[in-house]
Amino acid sequence: MTTQTTTPEDILQTAQALRWEVGSDFHEHLMESMYTEAARIADRAITRPEKKPRFDLDRTIDRLVTSRAFGFPLMLALLTLVFWLTIAGANVPSRWLSWLLLDTLQPILKGFGVTIGLPWWINGLLFDGMYLATAWVISVMLPPMAIFFPLFTLLEDYGYLPRVAFNLDNMFQKVGAHGKQALSMTMGFGCNAAGVVATRVIDSPRERLIAIITNNFALCNGRWPTQILIATLFIGGLVPAHLAGLLSAMSVVAIAVLGVLFSFLVSWGLSRTVLRGEVSTFSLELPPYRPPRIWQTIYTSVIDRTLIVLWRAIIFALPAGAIIWLSANITFGGISIAEYLINFLNPAGLLLGLNGVILVAYIVAIPANEIVIPTVLMLTVLVTGASGVGAGAGVMFELQSNAEMTALFQAGGWTLLTAVNLMLFSLLHNPCSTTIYTIYKETRSLKWTLISTLLPVFMGLAVTFFVAQVWRLIAGVL
Amino acid sequence: MPNPLISLLVAFAITLLAVWFFRPERGLFWRWQRSRRMTERVFEEDALKHIHQCEIHDRRPTVKSLAGSLNLSLDEIASLLEKLEARQLVAVDGANFHLTASGRAYALQIIRAHRLWERYLADATGFGEAEWHGQADLYEHELSPAEISRLAAQLGNPTHDPHGDPIPTARGEIVYRERIPLSSLEANKPARIVHIEDEPEAVYAQLVAEGLHVGMTVRVTESSSQRIRFWSGGDEHTLAPLIAANVGLELLPEEPREQDQLGERLTSLAPGEQGRVIGLTPRLRGAERRRLMDLGILPGTLIQNTMNSPSGNPAAYSVRGALIALRSAQADQIRILRENDES
Repeated sequence: MTTQTTTPEDILQTAQALRWEVGSDFHEHLMESMYTEAARIADRAITRPEKKPRFDLDRTIDRLVTSRAFGFPLMLALLTLVFWLTIAGANVPSRWLSWLLLDTLQPILKGFGVTIGLPWWINGLLFDGMYLATAWVISVMLPPMAIFFPLFTLLEDYGYLPRVAFNLDNMFQKVGAHGKQALSMTMGFGCNAAGVVATRVIDSPRERLIAIITNNFALCNGRWPTQILIATLFIGGLVPAHLAGLLSAMSVVAIAVLGVLFSFLVSWGLSRTVLRGEVSTFSLELPPYRPPRIWQTIYTSVIDRTLIVLWRAIIFALPAGAIIWLSANITFGGISIAEYLINFLNPAGLLLGLNGVILVAYIVAIPANEIVIPTVLMLTVLVTGASGVGAGAGVMFELQSNAEMTALFQAGGWTLLTAVNLMLFSLLHNPCSTTIYTIYKETRSLKWTLISTLLPVFMGLAVTFFVAQVWRLIAGVL
Repeated sequence: MPNPLISLLVAFAITLLAVWFFRPERGLFWRWQRSRRMTERVFEEDALKHIHQCEIHDRRPTVKSLAGSLNLSLDEIASLLEKLEARQLVAVDGANFHLTASGRAYALQIIRAHRLWERYLADATGFGEAEWHGQADLYEHELSPAEISRLAAQLGNPTHDPHGDPIPTARGEIVYRERIPLSSLEANKPARIVHIEDEPEAVYAQLVAEGLHVGMTVRVTESSSQRIRFWSGGDEHTLAPLIAANVGLELLPEEPREQDQLGERLTSLAPGEQGRVIGLTPRLRGAERRRLMDLGILPGTLIQNTMNSPSGNPAAYSVRGALIALRSAQADQIRILRENDES
């Protein structure tokens, strides 16, 4: 070709013609050759030890923890140990915090308010409403989280948790999820907000969204006490005293297992419908085992997980406390807002095998599952007008004796069906506001936040409705 | 308290209604949404596409073939053609009709949108092969020219759609490659898949189920009028000639280059065995392919199956000093040459 006749037009035309000849995947090939070249340079510069050690400790441990015979029992034993340490270890500091913040500090603060001459309603709003709700959340939430998170982080740091994901991946694969969802789900048993943050380890967009949306089905720390209390009062009471503990424990475990089943079911449904088009990749690195750095782990898990979650919970508990107190104290024609709401929701609640009090408690206690039971108790006293229990309108409380509590619930019209459905609804309802906010922060999407919030409520309503009708049908026949 | 039996029945009825309305794909709501999209413009554009297809395949478009392709009555097609003629997109001459220059340019833009959207679905989303064509049939009518250019730029101005069909450029240029149908390839000649016809759907579904993909190397072992037997992607496949005809090939040089060797799948390694990576199959695309390359699974890399999980899937492989778990579906897409123990 001669130079004087070459114009930009010609060059463009040549380029256009050549474009069809380079093949459809030249971008891929280019990228691949760049990676390959980079790998070649790296290989030339890095020297690796000539011979493998005769005894490879990592592989030996791996063979044990991923073996057919020992893999699953070992995993169950370790998780049970972590849960047992959390529950047993949190008992004492929880009681101590509750004594300090609720029984001791609260009357002092209220007395102080009277001394400096605050009007009764400001005093009530501040110390019976906002302070009490926040203190309650802290005393129930802080100790288990301060134990559970460091333990969990230690296992993670040691390198064991990726092996759990490796063992369980096949189960999660079948429902379109990632093996690491086992980890975020376990974290969710501690706190759903932390569980949602923990899904960051899943680097595939579709599987991560599934893990975020289904995390709420892991029964969190704030809901365990509700489950245990109701199971003890109503289900344990069905059998002789020496079997009561076993039966109520089994029913709580059954609810937790049901939650895991629901999370598999929902994962399966989501991956086949709304999330079908999201990008999905899988990779799971099994890092070498290393001795955990204990102090660093405790420090980061306390700062990163416990304190952040606690701080968010406090921010949401403060206004919730105010709303609870105000709703019970602002009255129109002698009837408080709370009572209006309860009367309004009661027919729907009864249809679902619950009652208006429970529905209202779940609405005002969206900020924290920890305060559902104290709110239910307070509202029950408000509605039934029971005397001798409680600390006044809008003041949450809990009773020490089981007999007193059963009596109060029965005065509120509770049956065994109410108890069972309360346990189911406690498992299947919207995540607390801390978790909702965290989901929004993690997904940056209103759509997924709404789906993760409304899907469990809808399922809870459907399940309790179904159970209530079938229960009544059977009870009618018997 | 309402009678529990009645409330159960009412709830059941509501659920049935909801399913009827919102069942994925077939629910009334989705059907209504789809039919709302079926505007006059969609029919016009589909008609142009059909006439263009006929011209490429040297067939004469007729009112009947149009009616069959668009699922309309003959009268409706007649009025549709009248409109197209009025807009000078189609020239009608008695019973014959053909595209005008502007009609052809219009048709090429629709085809461009269709094939770009298929490329997008293949590279940047998680939708499976079976859904590409149907979705592109909807979106080709909804993308504006500006959106099409932006999509093309974002995808790196691809030349071919995932089935191997060329994508017309913004100026309407298009070049079709010569290709040999798999049914007429001689035995033992190395070749590469450059095209897989995506219609009819049932045939395409069978080819997808065989795991065939544009870019894979093929070697035929037996070719008769009853069946075609060939190796591809580390497996032996058998297809009826009628179906194999939907796979288009280009010949490779007699001595295949390293990356065109057939090799085995990574999953064929038992724990403890190792191999050297030849490459990733063309089926792995987008994020999935990049992830594996990020992990260092590249041509020439030594890879060893180190252990299986209790269920056998995923398995853990040692690559460049790291231990990485891969699912069988992924490991199936990595081709290797088996190597004996390091000696």
